[in-house]
Amino acid sequence: MDEPAAPHYNTYLSAMDPIETEGVPDLNGAPAPRMPASAPELEPGAPTDLELMQAIQAEDPEALSKLYDRYNGILKALILRVIHNEAEADDLLQEIFMEIWNQAKNFSAQKGKPLGWMVTLARRRAIDGLRKKQAYARAGERLQSETEQQPDAWVHNATEEEITFSDTRILVRRVIDTLPPAQQQAINLAFFRGMSQREIAAKTNTPLGTVKTRLELGLKKIYDGLKELKDEL
Amino acid sequence: MSFDEFQNRARLYVIGALEPEETGEFEEARKNFGQQAEDFIVECYNLHEAFALSLRPEKSSEALKDRLMSMVRQRQAK
Repeated sequence: MDEPAAPHYNTYLSAMDPIETEGVPDLNGAPAPRMPASAPELEPGAPTDLELMQAIQAEDPEALSKLYDRYNGILKALILRVIHNEAEADDLLQEIFMEIWNQAKNFSAQKGKPLGWMVTLARRRAIDGLRKKQAYARAGERLQSETEQQPDAWVHNATEEEITFSDTRILVRRVIDTLPPAQQQAINLAFFRGMSQREIAAKTNTPLGTVKTRLELGLKKIYDGLKELKDEL
Repeated sequence: MSFDEFQNRARLYVIGALEPEETGEFEEARKNFGQQAEDFIVECYNLHEAFALSLRPEKSSEALKDRLMSMVRQRQAK
């Protein structure tokens, strides 16, 4: 059963949590809205992600160039969401695309889609980077400080890539925004900060079992939203 | 563990949020459910894609791409 999106949940949300919570409706029990199961459609004649990955596996640099053009903005946004530092995000982005080039042979279409593989790789590298930083600074203070300095990493000029993905982003955000804030927060801390259930429980002063329930319910709702659309296509 | 419970754990697993004490039981259930479990885990990785697509793309410099492509070509030339 879903938890109610009662106002007091907002007290759990720290300044470091960039997921917007204002105006989140209480949709207990409501089905997740439709969301895209994959990236938006490409221009006619453009190679698919899979075709690009296959070309990269055949060591075609032009394919990497195209993949970079298509996804550098999304991957950089993901990295920034984790580490909140522009220069470090650029360095990591470059390393990640080199890893994509070097590890392309390990990609298998049977195990998922290229974007999922790249995001998994980028997230792992970004969280590794975050943990290295935390080794040199007290984690809580550092994260708090960075967030206060850069509370809105989403402000920037629109790019062509952004426009291409804007519809997708809106749909995905819509399903995430239907989750109660406490579920959003738990997922945010787990996915974008790499926190364990225990770390989330400690950070939010919430019982471990409640954190687990929030993660399970939130992830299931998002998963079901994805699946619903995929089944209809 | 029922398959419903396995599904809940699998969604935690793909985002790295399984606690150490849950991992053993999860891996055991994964073996027991076999290919059905593997297929479900692959599906769960769509969550990664969805979270990334929920973010507004950030602009990177052309210089960064130039450096990347230069490194790639150097690697190829070796």
